[in-house]
Amino acid sequence: MSESGDIVLCARAIVKRFESGDSELEILHGIDLDLRAGERLALMGPSGAGKSTLLHILGLLEHPTYGTVDLDGRDAWSLSTQERARLRNRYIGFVFQFYHLLSELDAVENVMLPAMIAQSRGEFRLDRRAHLAKARDLLSNFGLAHRLKHRPAQLSGGERQRVALARALFLDPPLLIADEPTGNLDRDTGELVLDLLFRAQQERNLSLLLVTHDERLAERCSRVLRLEAGSIVGAVSGRG
Amino acid sequence: MYRVFLSWRFLRSRRTNLIGVFGIFLAVGALILILSIMTGFLEETRRSARGSLSDLIITLPPYSDSRRPRDPAPVLELLRADERVEGASAHLGWMCILTRQDERSLRILVDSQSSEIAGIKLTGVDPATEDDATEFRPSLDTVGRDENGDIVAPRLRVANLADPFAAPPEYDASVGRPRASVIVGEKVMTYHGLRRGSFITLMTAVPDPASDTGWSAKKREFVVAGCFRSGENEIDLERVYIDRGQLARFLSGVSEDDALPQDSIHFSEVLVKLKDYERDAEAARAAFGAQLFRAGLIDESCSIRTWEEFREALLGAIENERVLMGIMLSLILVVAGFTIFAILSMMVTEKRRDIGVLTALGATPRGVLVLFLLIGFWDALIGALFGAVAGTWMALEIDPLERKLSETFGVQIFNREVYLFDSIPSVVTPLAVAAIVIGAFVCTLVFAAIPAWRAANLDPVEALRNE
Ligand SMILES: Nc1ncnc2c1ncn2[C@@H]1O[C@H](COP(=O)(O)OP(=O)(O)OP(=O)(O)O)[C@@H](O)[C@H]1O
Ligand SMILES: [Mg+2]
Repeated sequence: MSESGDIVLCARAIVKRFESGDSELEILHGIDLDLRAGERLALMGPSGAGKSTLLHILGLLEHPTYGTVDLDGRDAWSLSTQERARLRNRYIGFVFQFYHLLSELDAVENVMLPAMIAQSRGEFRLDRRAHLAKARDLLSNFGLAHRLKHRPAQLSGGERQRVALARALFLDPPLLIADEPTGNLDRDTGELVLDLLFRAQQERNLSLLLVTHDERLAERCSRVLRLEAGSIVGAVSGRG
Repeated sequence: MYRVFLSWRFLRSRRTNLIGVFGIFLAVGALILILSIMTGFLEETRRSARGSLSDLIITLPPYSDSRRPRDPAPVLELLRADERVEGASAHLGWMCILTRQDERSLRILVDSQSSEIAGIKLTGVDPATEDDATEFRPSLDTVGRDENGDIVAPRLRVANLADPFAAPPEYDASVGRPRASVIVGEKVMTYHGLRRGSFITLMTAVPDPASDTGWSAKKREFVVAGCFRSGENEIDLERVYIDRGQLARFLSGVSEDDALPQDSIHFSEVLVKLKDYERDAEAARAAFGAQLFRAGLIDESCSIRTWEEFREALLGAIENERVLMGIMLSLILVVAGFTIFAILSMMVTEKRRDIGVLTALGATPRGVLVLFLLIGFWDALIGALFGAVAGTWMALEIDPLERKLSETFGVQIFNREVYLFDSIPSVVTPLAVAAIVIGAFVCTLVFAAIPAWRAANLDPVEALRNE
């Protein structure tokens, strides 16, 4: 286990049950997990093991049945809805398998969306130039300088995922959560997106929580956790 | 910031939203147009309901045993001295039967199914002061003119407006006994087939203590000096004006040229016109009642009423109708609101994933709620704004618009004759327009609130799980 860096995320005894009819289905059986600044953690496991569910709980999108998630030193699930939304906005960047861009907005607007949500109208107008410059910068760094005004429908899968990555990084959150970010891309494109993801993570010293089925990808992480049937069965320190 | 920005983007990106906007536009426009015309109609009706009624009507039944003065002069004097009073005039009313020396009169008398004509309300007026309190001369002057105001039927009109009860030019006074002039309602004129100079016979009964029934019959021949148009069907069908003195002579059986005996019946009501009806009506009525009573000019059998009290039932019905109409027409808004509800519901289903993304990026449920409410708000804003402008414009221009349409298609859409209106009445009240616009907003937002609430309570994880 990497000993350096502050703890960014600390999850304890996470249990998740789903009610289906009269019976209750326990998907996660008490997961403990720590993530430090600058750490790259890969979460692996068979389909249906509960990886996405765990990610959603850690990402404050889904309520755990039991257990605590400490983010920024605060017990996130005991905060008000408002404060939790704010924490999600400032503290966590999401990258999804299916990009999830808003089809009505162009690339730049999609990238600026976290700032739009964070700020009031007046604040955003004041910072507009800075935001625009930053969004263009990010997209240019990701090789999308000629795609700034394009809508998601006009972009390829790889391009969309790069826009999504820029969006996740826009407010400089300390934590990045990515659920199979290359799951929907061909190999070469996937490599390209991953290179960008890892480079950004390294440059900014972010904590990265990554779900993947790709062993080679896991090797490039500092730590690998295996989740099987709702329990962590093994931890491996990677090359990182 | 994202709420306004995204709601606008979502609105523009879906053509179906135009249906909602258009629905609100139509509803607001139609409501304003229809309510304006309705208000116009009702106000016109109210005006004609008032008809020839003056502000205050003092009724003094001329019982023979009453100790009140027979002559109206002291009453009129007292009233005219009051600074709130614009003018006052005395009337003598008497119910009669009108006949002529032709078959038509018989047909009218035996027609038990007719709803057209009843008795004649013979109304004695003082031509010199009548206009102080009523619209007497204007009602004479409108007769026999076309749309442009040119006189086209001079034989219907009173020959000399300055002296309306003067003998008509067609009347040869040297033939037979002298006859007093009457001015009949326009409908009486046509119904009985009268012209200026026609003779009519009026018959009635008057109290007579000497008779064994207590009544004795009176009948006298008169000459028609012209007709009047009050615009009020009932009055034009029933009323016949006559000089008050001549009516008193008729009732007491004194010949046209003789002096009036002191004990004859001179007047039965006094009409008062106030300078400011809205302000003074109630106070003046109370004051006059007290003053007249103290002076011994009225007693318990008399009454003082405002014109509205005379028409209480009708005015109440008119107001009722307006409210009812408003309520029924508001259903248009509900339909428009429902369109928005349907469109927004579709949109929420369609945008499930986007709602999940927004939540993941830090939007609160309340933010999502506001976002979708705002879409409804824009619908209402655009629709209501354009609807209000279009509806108001149409309402103001409805008359020329209808004329142009009628001309273009060669069909008469609105028959002005039927309603006795010269133009389609339409009154745009800013308050009503404001109420309709606000109603549109409230209705839209209430209907938008349901899908918006659903959007806010969407489970983001479920929305994000799959493509
Ligand atoms: N809302 C729910 N109600 C009931 N069961 C659920 C619900 N959400 C997830 N599950 C179940 O939880 C289990 C774990 O799902 P999850 O999506 O976390 O798996 P995963 O490890 O991400 O799989 P994959 O690798 O295929 O993405 C699955 O068996 C799934 O059916
Ligand atoms: Mg998954």
